Amino acid sequence: MIKIEKLSKFYGKNQVLNSIDLEFEKGKIYGIVGENGAGKTTLFRCISGLENYKGNISSDYTKLKDHLGLLLTEPFFFSKITGKEYIQLLANTRQIELSNIENKNIFDLPLNQYASTYSTGMKKKLALTAILLQQNDVFILDEPFNGVDIQSNLIITEIIKRFKELEKTVIISSHIFSTLADTCDEIYLMKNGEIIKKVKQVDFNNLEKEMKEFTVGNRINKLELK
Amino acid sequence: MRMKEYFLLQFKMLNRKMIDFGLPLLIGYALLPFVFVLLSNYLFEKTEFANYAYGLFALSFVLKLSETRRNDFLKSIFNKHNYKKLRILENIIYCLPFTLFLVYKKQFVFSIILNLFVIITTLFNFSTNLNVTIPTPFSKKPFEFTVGFRKTFYVFPIAYFLTYISVSVGNFNLGIFSMLLIGITCFSYYSKTENEYFVWNYNLSSKEFLLEKMKTCLTYFSILSLPIIITLGISFFNQIDILIVFVFLCYAYLTTIIFAKYSSFPNEMNMSKVILIGLSFMFPPILLIFIPLFYSQSIKKLNTILND
Repeated sequence: MIKIEKLSKFYGKNQVLNSIDLEFEKGKIYGIVGENGAGKTTLFRCISGLENYKGNISSDYTKLKDHLGLLLTEPFFFSKITGKEYIQLLANTRQIELSNIENKNIFDLPLNQYASTYSTGMKKKLALTAILLQQNDVFILDEPFNGVDIQSNLIITEIIKRFKELEKTVIISSHIFSTLADTCDEIYLMKNGEIIKKVKQVDFNNLEKEMKEFTVGNRINKLELK
Repeated sequence: MRMKEYFLLQFKMLNRKMIDFGLPLLIGYALLPFVFVLLSNYLFEKTEFANYAYGLFALSFVLKLSETRRNDFLKSIFNKHNYKKLRILENIIYCLPFTLFLVYKKQFVFSIILNLFVIITTLFNFSTNLNVTIPTPFSKKPFEFTVGFRKTFYVFPIAYFLTYISVSVGNFNLGIFSMLLIGITCFSYYSKTENEYFVWNYNLSSKEFLLEKMKTCLTYFSILSLPIIITLGISFFNQIDILIVFVFLCYAYLTTIIFAKYSSFPNEMNMSKVILIGLSFMFPPILLIFIPLFYSQSIKKLNTILND
């Protein structure tokens, strides 16, 4: 279990997270939704230990980060490293012996090409493959469906469902509501650095309607489209 | 965008780079020409082929401006005529320090030829992301040597060839130079700071992390320089003690650069550290102070990111 208590984060005078209290249980899938700049990525970086913060984050592990697979919104790649070497690098960081990487290439990526030449979607799939092979217990997936083709979207959705069976904890952020509704046990709505709503699976449909009203409202009318 | 605005923007970017590097602008603009003249003079004093080396160096510097994506962007914001004008102008500006030094050395013909080449290069764009994957013996432990080897693979045959010449003509110093060439090349692999994600991922303590980095670096450097060490050890057996000293110096400098790099992590190494390392080349025993100093600073910086 991961427990977050009174988590706040400031960048200078700008407060990006405001006293967040959350709990993530083992074997459950959590979705985080919110507008751009709501604080989702900062929340993930705090949980991972990539940012300093005020408040407390505790877990069942001595060092949560050593059991955590983090998929960044825009994964970073070195200029002259192949897809296979990227996977090897991330496995090495956790002292994991990998054999037959090609057999584990579920997204059919050109593993012997430089990863920096991959398209956005391919980069995301490579980064995801690498953290999957790290054999983590907890996963934070920041926009895993962004730029990814429909076939791979289906594969990722199935992987997340498999994680639930394997008792892993998964936290996902996505702007595609249907993918979250398909996989999550709970969805948290973030706005201006705060969790403004926690919704269980049975209420997902209402949340989508509410979000639509709340987000879209009559904004489009302002454009006076003709 | 007008050309004047473009060059002003380039000037601002250069200033920002210097400030990020920890170099006050005034000192930077005074220091850069001084260092440039110092190095150029050194080159011209040391070899009779300085003209050619200088020309090649200037061209490789200017060729960076011919990168395809950069030029595609420029083509999208300037019309054809202005684009051509801008490319010629910026290539000549980039090459200006080299041209001025050649003129100072009364190498007028060379300076004209160099500028002609510089103008010709504006006709071509080069992609830095070729689809050809260069094989490397260091795939098992990415990334420093994997990336570095691919960028500098041509250095190694040159170094081995120089060793062969050193043995053929009985010049031990040339052999030592060829080993140092490999040392400096490996040293350069650690000059850039990686994204913090690649450090954060390690499930090691800060101490173990640094040890792992050191182990990989020294092992791979030993592999690359082993043919030279063995050849020189056999051919110049009576000078094996000097050879061993230089091998250990390489180990010491490689250790220094690793510790120096992580002592500023996740930021780039600042100017003061670059100067300290530069000074150590003049007086290597000072490494006995720098290595433990950078080590303890690295541990502090890494503790934050590795949650140690």
